[in-house]
Amino acid sequence: MGATLTYVRLNLSRVLIIVGALAALGTWYFSVPMVDSVFKEVNAWQINISSFTLFTGLMTISMRYIRAIQRRDSDIWPFQAYALVLIIVWVLMGLTVGMYSDTYQTAYLSTKITLHIAILGQIIFYFTSGAYRTFRIRTLRTAALAISAVLIVALNAPWVQNPFPAASNFAMWLLNNPQMAASRTVVITGGIGSIVLGIRVILGLEKGAQRITEGE
Amino acid sequence: MKIPDLKSQYVWVTVALLAYIIPGVFPLGTGFPMSDTTMEIYDIVQSLPEGSICAIGGSGVFAFDLESSAGTIPALKIMAENGVRIINVPLGTEAVQYEKFLIDASRIETKYGGTHEYGTDWIQFPYIPGGASGLVAFLDDIHAASPADVYGTPLDELPLGRELTNWEDIDLWICPHWGFPTIVQYVTGERGITSISFAQSGAYARYSPYMMSYPGQVYMTNGFLGGAQMEQLVGMKGLGHAAIDAYQVLSLLFVVFVALGNATMLTAGEEE
Amino acid sequence: MISQDPWVWISAILTIFSFTLLYGDNKFFRFAQYTYTAVVVGHSVVVGVQTLQGRFSPLISGQKPMLLISLILGLMVLFVVWRPYAWIASIPYAVIIGVGTGLMMRATLQTDVIGSIRAVIAETGKIFIGSPYDQFGYLIRVTFTIGTMFYFLFTVFVKGTGSKPVSYLRDFGKYALLIYLGLSLGNSAMQYSGLGASAINRLLRQWLGLGG
Repeated sequence: MGATLTYVRLNLSRVLIIVGALAALGTWYFSVPMVDSVFKEVNAWQINISSFTLFTGLMTISMRYIRAIQRRDSDIWPFQAYALVLIIVWVLMGLTVGMYSDTYQTAYLSTKITLHIAILGQIIFYFTSGAYRTFRIRTLRTAALAISAVLIVALNAPWVQNPFPAASNFAMWLLNNPQMAASRTVVITGGIGSIVLGIRVILGLEKGAQRITEGE
Repeated sequence: MKIPDLKSQYVWVTVALLAYIIPGVFPLGTGFPMSDTTMEIYDIVQSLPEGSICAIGGSGVFAFDLESSAGTIPALKIMAENGVRIINVPLGTEAVQYEKFLIDASRIETKYGGTHEYGTDWIQFPYIPGGASGLVAFLDDIHAASPADVYGTPLDELPLGRELTNWEDIDLWICPHWGFPTIVQYVTGERGITSISFAQSGAYARYSPYMMSYPGQVYMTNGFLGGAQMEQLVGMKGLGHAAIDAYQVLSLLFVVFVALGNATMLTAGEEE
Repeated sequence: MISQDPWVWISAILTIFSFTLLYGDNKFFRFAQYTYTAVVVGHSVVVGVQTLQGRFSPLISGQKPMLLISLILGLMVLFVVWRPYAWIASIPYAVIIGVGTGLMMRATLQTDVIGSIRAVIAETGKIFIGSPYDQFGYLIRVTFTIGTMFYFLFTVFVKGTGSKPVSYLRDFGKYALLIYLGLSLGNSAMQYSGLGASAINRLLRQWLGLGG
């Protein structure tokens, strides 16, 4: 019975992957109403399932924090207790006032967004001190990296663009030509890699992507 | 003469004082030239006929997307003036709050004395999960993908909602989020709708190939500078201008510190 | 004039706590860090509840009974956090992986691969027409694209016939890539600089009432 269940579970997963992928591909390349309706249904399932994944963060965090608070073996457990309380307060507040209300928006902007912007804004300090230390031109390679970085920082700056308006055009030229060309290579090679990965997933060769589907 | 290596903390204090605190208290009012791409985008938005529908949506993280707001808010003001209708399509969990921020900051809503009435001139959709799946479902059948707005009001009860069927009703897509490639792939690439991104400067570097793959259909401005240029075109001074003020000094400090670092390296080498 | 709004004070205090990381890890930064984590998780739950209400209300009202399948699959997803029962989540995740893979493949092929290659071919033709400024631009685009492709495809050294021209192209591609990295890094300075300005201006202007 156990072996039968495992067999059904594994092969059902593979069938669902193949049906989902081929429906998504088929609906675009062929005009077959049946394929369209299969894709619409499976796509709707996908969207509805994705709604539930929003709760996995709560479950993971709660399990980890509750375990740490019970053990109290590190000095961060008071912060974890605070975080759990704040989660409960936040959820109650959000469900009461609604996430599109001005109250919720003000609270969200004043906490999470403020913190995120502050954390990202600090990067510029590390960026500048890092540039001071690492952009030291010893070889042709470091020269290529350092000079191109410093050049675009300066060309984007008003203190260069105002006396030399052509600097603005030159900055865009650098971004739209040499920079774009290498970026395009990353896009092409990344795209080819993604397609190969997709084929491997459909054929059931990608064990890493299917680790959750294979089970223990 | 050997130049001593500076501690990082000295660099940080210099940056904080000269690039942020002083310009924060005494704004520099930095001027900057206009770019051709920004003018092109301005013309596209300006030329949308009255009654057109522009979708503003995508997936991203609010703090990263904030840089886009410098360009999107002026674009909203232009569209409101010209009677263009707006639908906000959030594909990320933070996108709803970000799109609300854009509408509130642009002051186009009637509650701020603006011209755009909710339900008739603009609609906010709720979060549509699934990423690309959600976007494709939305483009194929708007009512099936999202039958109600963010308040739970059925679309059939909203004047603008009744007119929406699928992607053919959308005339322009503006993506003020980091996830612009998804929009290019499914909105422009598969359905031929022009898409614009007031791109973050980090995103511009990565996504500029899409502009070249779809010339005349995909447009991007470059970071806060592009946003400040859009602000200038509509005669407002917002986050773009404030960011350029700080960047004016920071860029100079960056060049100075890199030069100083190399001078330190050279003098240390000479000593040896 | 210093602000009287409690939300501005909360925002200012959290910003200062966040910036204390520059001094070193400390309790104030940890408080800010855990506040951030809690609000992110709380927000996900609020969004999740309101999304579920919107998506499954037709099931509750009896209009779309087939949504029961999605509901069961969605509940199965939650088992992913329990290791002994994580296998239950394999079925709904197979749906996510399948549909996601199909959509990704068709879009990537059309836009990323064919779209980019088509652009390179078009630009190759434009090298010979137009103004010298444009011609040079297209030449740079095509040569840099080919050079970096060679670097990616032939990263491991090729021996034998043709190895010398390949190695030159590879080295050219290496430098093209370094120029790309430098330009994209330098361009992103504007983003972090602006976000820093946003954070500090909130302290100076909104909280302390200084400046313009």
